[in-house]
Amino acid sequence: MPPLHTSTTAQITIEAPAIQGKNRAVTIEGILLADRPGGPRQWDIPGVYIHVPFCFHKCHYCDFYSIVDSHDRQQAFTQRLIQELNAASPVLCRSGPVETIFVGGGTPTLLAAQQWEHLLGVINRVMPHLDRREFTVEANPETVTAELADVLLSGGVNRVSIGCQSFNHHHLKTLERWHDPENVFRSVEILRQAGLANFNLDLIFAIPGQTLDDWLDDLDRTLALQPTHISCYGLMYEPNTPLTVKMKAGRIQPVEQDLEAQMYEATIDRLAAAGFEHYEISNWARQPLNPMATANRCRHNMIYWTNRNWWPLGPSASGHVEGLRWKNVPRLGEYLDGGPFPPIIDVEQLDQDGRIGEQFMLGLRLIEGMKLEEVEALLSHGRRGQQRRLAIERSLSEGYLVGLNGSLRLSRRGLLLADSVIAPLI
Amino acid sequence: MPIRNFSIIAHIDHGKSTLADRLLQATHAVSDREAREQMLDSMDLERERGITIKASAVTVQHTYKGQEYELNFIDTPGHVDFAYEVSRALTACEGAILVVDATQGVEAQTVANAYLAVENNLELIPVINKIDLPAAQPERVAMEIEQVLGLPAEDCMYVSAKTGKGITELLDAICEKLPPPRPPEVEETRALIFDSNYDDYRGVIVYFRVFDGELNVGDKIRMMGTGRTFQITELGRHRPQPEKVKTLGHAQVGYMVAAIKTLEDVRVGDTITLDARPASQPLPGYKEPQQMVFCDFYPATASAESPSAGKKGEFEALRDAINRLHLNDASFTFETEHSEALGFGFRCGFLGLLHMDIVQERLEREGGVEIVQTAPTVSYQVELTGGEIVEIHNPADLPDPSTIRSIREPIVKVEIICPTENIGDLMRLCEGRRGTFKAQKFISEGRQILDYELPLAEIIYDFYDKLKSITRGYGTMDYDIVGYRQDRLAKVSILVNNVPVEALSLICHRDNAEQRSRLILQKLKKQIDRHQFEIPLQAAIGGKIIARESIKAVRKNVTAKCYGGDITRKRKLLEKQKEGKKRMKTIGSVTIPQEAFMAVLDQGE
Ligand SMILES: Nc1nc2c(ncn2[C@@H]2O[C@H](COP(=O)(O)OP(=O)(O)OP(=O)(O)O)[C@@H](O)[C@H]2O)c(=O)[nH]1
Ligand code: SF4
Ligand SMILES: [Mg+2]
Repeated sequence: MPPLHTSTTAQITIEAPAIQGKNRAVTIEGILLADRPGGPRQWDIPGVYIHVPFCFHKCHYCDFYSIVDSHDRQQAFTQRLIQELNAASPVLCRSGPVETIFVGGGTPTLLAAQQWEHLLGVINRVMPHLDRREFTVEANPETVTAELADVLLSGGVNRVSIGCQSFNHHHLKTLERWHDPENVFRSVEILRQAGLANFNLDLIFAIPGQTLDDWLDDLDRTLALQPTHISCYGLMYEPNTPLTVKMKAGRIQPVEQDLEAQMYEATIDRLAAAGFEHYEISNWARQPLNPMATANRCRHNMIYWTNRNWWPLGPSASGHVEGLRWKNVPRLGEYLDGGPFPPIIDVEQLDQDGRIGEQFMLGLRLIEGMKLEEVEALLSHGRRGQQRRLAIERSLSEGYLVGLNGSLRLSRRGLLLADSVIAPLI
Repeated sequence: MPIRNFSIIAHIDHGKSTLADRLLQATHAVSDREAREQMLDSMDLERERGITIKASAVTVQHTYKGQEYELNFIDTPGHVDFAYEVSRALTACEGAILVVDATQGVEAQTVANAYLAVENNLELIPVINKIDLPAAQPERVAMEIEQVLGLPAEDCMYVSAKTGKGITELLDAICEKLPPPRPPEVEETRALIFDSNYDDYRGVIVYFRVFDGELNVGDKIRMMGTGRTFQITELGRHRPQPEKVKTLGHAQVGYMVAAIKTLEDVRVGDTITLDARPASQPLPGYKEPQQMVFCDFYPATASAESPSAGKKGEFEALRDAINRLHLNDASFTFETEHSEALGFGFRCGFLGLLHMDIVQERLEREGGVEIVQTAPTVSYQVELTGGEIVEIHNPADLPDPSTIRSIREPIVKVEIICPTENIGDLMRLCEGRRGTFKAQKFISEGRQILDYELPLAEIIYDFYDKLKSITRGYGTMDYDIVGYRQDRLAKVSILVNNVPVEALSLICHRDNAEQRSRLILQKLKKQIDRHQFEIPLQAAIGGKIIARESIKAVRKNVTAKCYGGDITRKRKLLEKQKEGKKRMKTIGSVTIPQEAFMAVLDQGE
């Protein structure tokens, strides 16, 4: 955290009418950027998240904001995003350099190469190109072309995250995920040809009908592609997705809990054996030759888990600055109509106690855990320090948490029950 | 003006409330513009469920042969659980309209309610309703009425409460055929309380019928049963909107407000007289209603770790809600109950399962409380070795087995009306429930009456649903308690994580104890969430374990994805997890959801 000791935390007060006023759209400008006596303030904003809300089909487990059949609006979206980028440029340039950019979706690779070219030009002007900058773009295996790869790479993109989910046709069908697993191999090949070797593969396990062997098979194929990073998610039944509806109607049977646990543990072992560092509950980074280095972790996501600041761009993108969280309007029409800063929703400024809770929720997701000094500092603040301390002690005695190398972290058993351990600390 | 007082009675859904609507319209009590469907069903719950729960009385006028008549009528509920409401309504009347659906014919509550009316010496007008429907068979139904009830087929009136056909003729028949109110028997004033409800501003509102003398605003009255006195501040009648009057005289029906604050001061069935000139004898009151099923209500609290758990005030809120509802519905009973595992709550008695359901829903809706309910049971008579007999309403209260000589359970006479072709299946159902065959009677081509004696405990839960499914909806049943009978009954205790949970214990026949127990444990296994440790489940009679199961420890509880946009939502989900779900009870270290307490009802099959 740029932690609790900073006094800026306390200074951000939200003007209530700005949030509650129903008539005029609230923007982040009205809350955070309004000039105050003493001139505009500065925050360190190391991360930028950009949301591209288009997909060519809606997968059944997906709860991201995206729309299909949108070719007519992609151009308008790109224009509008550039307008938002320009408007945000003073905030983004005001403080230190932007260290990470993550373009997610939706399917960012659905935008045409020319649109990307245009967009990248503005991105690099607003956030001056930095050698050390991590710049990730999410890609759907169906949409990666040599042309696009060239445009992305010459525009400074140095990391690609490929949604492959499974290599098994049958399980992809269960998810209603429309891509041919062959295209994952093809995409990786295209990226390598273009000179990019730093890529992540997203996988899902505990798909209804999947066996442990099916899953290990997926892992083997993944490893064969030699990614630098792997994300493995136990399938989540998000509210209001077709998959959840089918599950509730009894048309699909979720994987048995014990099997899911087995799959997760097998993942931990298999990827460790293959030389991957397990650094967050669902994330693994290839161990560089120097075992102490962490070069392949996703630095952008690390910003989330260490509770640092990042700025959102595009519809439904969420942002965080010093305990203030908000989300751009998750409706393309309203996003296109608003501007230059889009209307925002779900604005939330937690009090100190709430922030401490989030700090635990995020920090304990990291395998390296939280530094004991930080834990102590957090426990000595907030309304529920004593309650949290008791909960931590109980989890320590039950073996779900361990103190190791000056850190408090989840044990292997604790990893599987992270929510039960974390809930009382919230 | 001559007066006619009558009730509308029928089997459920045969159209009583709709017929009442037509009577209100035909007598111009409501204009066509004001009319709604089932106007007298004023509670939200009644309108949502489309059934009448509470009887309501209205006053209208009708001109017959140049003479104006005052008609006071009461729309009654048809469901078997509310037979008590019907019997109260009947004591305020001299006549009744017996409505029978022309597409369904005579059904179980048609018979039961008709007998109730006859027992009360009421004159009956059989009315065959829904003759507008293509499937209507009015002549066949008229024959059934004659066959089963002994009312001449040619006396039946034919109406459609939907189209209004036959309504004027019915009103004429009411004036002509129903007897006038009996003349006063004494000079002093006597009025019978047949209902009451509670109004936040005016206190208790009392519904009554004047049998002798009259009541005036300003009168000081005395309740003959309780001896309490009050001053009448308002008198009125529903037409159907409340309309204030100064006086209510002989045979009239209406309501009064008299600054009555508490439920102890009014008893339905009590006689109102004047304090200055009291009558010497009260009117005959009512038989107290008989509660058939009993269960516990506890305030719902989240898990033990939640900040609201065990919060003072939840019990008090439930108590207030129960007290308040009891003013409107005196037919359920309650007493405080304390359970080691569940804390403070109430043991309540109900007329039947629908009644229980409705009381719970009204408590939650009108009282703003949330309730965890235990499985309903019947009452048992336990004969101790010393010869003493104790009545228990809760398996948890069963004395030590070594002190018990015998246990007796309530037996009901069940009357089923069903298509002939289902007789075989229904007999098998009854035999499987320890039933004794009594009689089989013919009603009409293709329909029969089947009489059985069954233990009440065997029919309270799913018997009716089974009957409905066997007969594809055509079967109906009525039941009445006939006494208690000894059988080989035993108490099965359920242990969760080695702790006996009294609220889950049950009394059942020794021969099915093992099988029932296994079913219950399997059900519990499905309903109790996995915990961080393994939970053994056991069923025992005395000290002997007769079935066991176990709930495995939770293996995985982890949010897979938590990125920038997920943080707030995930935090809220975890907060909810910490709070625990509502309608849960924590016993020892195990959290048990509401549904699990109902597991003991499962009969399998
Ligand atoms: N077609 C037709 N439908 C009718 C007639 N009378 C009543 N219904 C319908 O029958 C259903 C039941 O009517 P209600 O008046 O609620 O019956 P009820 O006897 O008051 O029912 P409970 O109070 O629950 O015992 C409703 O859907 C009515 O619309 C009629 O004469 N013709
Ligand atoms: S491609 Fe990704 S964002 Fe698009 S619907 Fe599928 S899971 Fe959702
Ligand atoms: Mg009704």
